[in-house]
Amino acid sequence: MMNKILLLLFTSLLGTQGNAGEVVEIDIHGMTCGFCVDAVQRNLRKLPDVEKAEVSLKRKKVRIHARDDGVDLDRVRKTILDAGFTPLDVERIDEK
Amino acid sequence: MKNKPLAVALPLLFPALAHAMGLRAFVALPVDKGGSVARLQIERNLDDDSNLAVANLALGISAKQAILLGLPYRLSPAGTGRVGDLGLLYRHIVWQNDFANGTRRIGLLGGVVVPGDSGRNPALQAGLVSTWYRNRHEWDIDLLYRAGLGQRPDSGRYDLSWQYRLSPANYPDWGVTAEWNSVLELGGRWTQGAQTIHQVTLGLQWIHPRWVLEGGIVRDINGPDETHLLLSTRMHF
Repeated sequence: MMNKILLLLFTSLLGTQGNAGEVVEIDIHGMTCGFCVDAVQRNLRKLPDVEKAEVSLKRKKVRIHARDDGVDLDRVRKTILDAGFTPLDVERIDEK
Repeated sequence: MKNKPLAVALPLLFPALAHAMGLRAFVALPVDKGGSVARLQIERNLDDDSNLAVANLALGISAKQAILLGLPYRLSPAGTGRVGDLGLLYRHIVWQNDFANGTRRIGLLGGVVVPGDSGRNPALQAGLVSTWYRNRHEWDIDLLYRAGLGQRPDSGRYDLSWQYRLSPANYPDWGVTAEWNSVLELGGRWTQGAQTIHQVTLGLQWIHPRWVLEGGIVRDINGPDETHLLLSTRMHF
């Protein structure tokens, strides 16, 4: 248990792990149409730590609602790259 | 061209088209890793009343690598040799420049043509494809050369495609809505020993996130002076 807490603390300090239940937005370049949106959303929704993912073609970004343990941003970035697009800046959203 | 058996001639006109965003052109846009796009296209030749179905499948190996398969089947007239030649292409995106309003990509194509009949010979094929997408416009360019083995003649093709998003003019803040695109294409089909047939295509696409319905008309600029109607659907898995 202590090891898990230390690991979570460590990854949080590195900035690759989101906080529990948080919402993050990631800018994405290269998307062109609904097929691109579907590829990004469908693959992100397969991730175990993603509660919800929605894409905005207008804003060129994806909004991710994390599950309880937070979201692994490195894995999110890799998923976007595997879908064929370029992830950029990450912004943490306060929904309150 | 009209004197050749349909099963031989048609695959030269309609090679693997999977995941093309144009009606006939190849595209350098990605198929997501592990994802696939299936396409079924029906083609009617208004001059000889023949009908052709082409099944295409695009498989995403990685963000930059995809396998494209295409198999034509003559629906009518009946007779022998209805199954055309299987087109198998590997596409590798070798250059990619993504930006906020679009992307520019260049890909290389390489593969084989597997005869659907023992009386025909295979071919090797190689080419390139480029896509430039910006705001409401997409341009695709492709060149493909097929080197025939044995008695099979060499062949080639080129396509220039412009697609314009008619609707919506602006995307919603979140999520996607259905899109309408117009399509204008100029293409050429060449077979060794015959003249290059240049063709113009006009079409319309109805694009949803998981499927596309599209249609168009293909008109020869020279040569046989034929007109074809296209109707196809694509599904994204």
